[in-house]
Amino acid sequence: MIPVLDVKAGLEAENEIYAEEVHRFCKDRGLFLINLMGSPGAGKTSLLTEILDHLGADHSFGVLEADVDSDVDARTVAAHGAKVVQLHTNGSCHMDARMTLEGLKALEPDLPQIVILENVGNLVCPAEFDVGANLKLMILSVPEGDDKPLKYPLMFTVSECLVISKMDTAPIFDFDVDRCLSHVRALGNQMPCFPLSVKTGEGSDEFLAWLKEVVA
Amino acid sequence: MKTIELNQPVTAANDKDAELLRASLSDSGLLLINLMSAAGSGKTTLLSRTIRDLKEKVNIGVMEADLASDVDALSIEALGARSIQVHTGGCCHMDAFMTGEALAEFDTTDLDLLFLENVGNLICPAEYDTGAHKNVMILSVPEGDDKPLKYPLMFEKSDVLLITKTDVLPYFDFDLDAVKERVLHLNPSIRIFPVSAKTGDGMDAWEAWLQGSLSAGEAHA
Repeated sequence: MIPVLDVKAGLEAENEIYAEEVHRFCKDRGLFLINLMGSPGAGKTSLLTEILDHLGADHSFGVLEADVDSDVDARTVAAHGAKVVQLHTNGSCHMDARMTLEGLKALEPDLPQIVILENVGNLVCPAEFDVGANLKLMILSVPEGDDKPLKYPLMFTVSECLVISKMDTAPIFDFDVDRCLSHVRALGNQMPCFPLSVKTGEGSDEFLAWLKEVVA
Repeated sequence: MKTIELNQPVTAANDKDAELLRASLSDSGLLLINLMSAAGSGKTTLLSRTIRDLKEKVNIGVMEADLASDVDALSIEALGARSIQVHTGGCCHMDAFMTGEALAEFDTTDLDLLFLENVGNLICPAEYDTGAHKNVMILSVPEGDDKPLKYPLMFEKSDVLLITKTDVLPYFDFDLDAVKERVLHLNPSIRIFPVSAKTGDGMDAWEAWLQGSLSAGEAHA
């Protein structure tokens, strides 16, 4: 019989080991790690700077900016007072736990209390790789459409909080928050959902209040 | 600020499969177009409009690649075009082997043009040659004008860039000229068509390009 090697299973098992290590690293140092995921252009960086501006007075923040290339986001985030490490995945479409650990260690010795990993803009691959974060936070923007949970079910299954961004554009797009949520609930995920607009500020307070509780 | 380089570039192992597939499609005179973009940028809407506008003149088929679900294939079938649903089973892109496998299951004998609607993802599909004759990508206005800076490979690999949802330009800080300049800097030979599939604005230029590619016998190149 020909031996069959399940390469993907091996990769996932290795990632699990590193995810455990990330988890331990954070626990030992009292650090709260947030894995922020969403499509390109969903508004990850805008939400991040919103968090920094409102919670930055009470907590020290670090940001791991994962990008295929470039450092446009890292420069934006640094301007909002966070300690930033730019991670270049060099073509890789997601962060894994080993890469995350490398990024966290690069923030030493003065570790912040909260670290936000801004994952690569992608609704697919980041969902498959647990980085060992305390909170998996995902963004879906109104212009992407309310059918996305049907088409990218894994991301909407593993996430622990859903932010629906760019709500100020809801009137010009055919986006129904309730329909979107019913797709999410049908996947068996009861995560909290916050429709908001960073531009107008609508809905932001509810989300920031919730986040404050979670990181406390 | 520290910058860490994490991975060595991925080498696409499927270039050979892609060349073979392209040659066999050319032999049968079928033009294959690989349509790529982020999730939610309007691939299916653009295809639907294109099919509606051209269906009297061109026989169009669609291969729908998705992680799961068949919502897109159903929308395409509702227009009377032939479609096949490919489930990648979690895989984030199509490659030449998967495209060939799906083609073997699909009757393309009377088709002139076949669109492969790739998985919604601005990264991995750019790395994998599917065997298509042309790569067409979509950037929608709400995604922002900085995307060529952040996802350069996709813009480098595409023959055509469709900038969609131009009807919402007044609501977003999207600088069309800046995007064109950034994209042409990455890829001087790319064709750029700003369109709105909703209002129909700009669709004629894109559809003229498609018909030009068909009559120029690009599939036979």
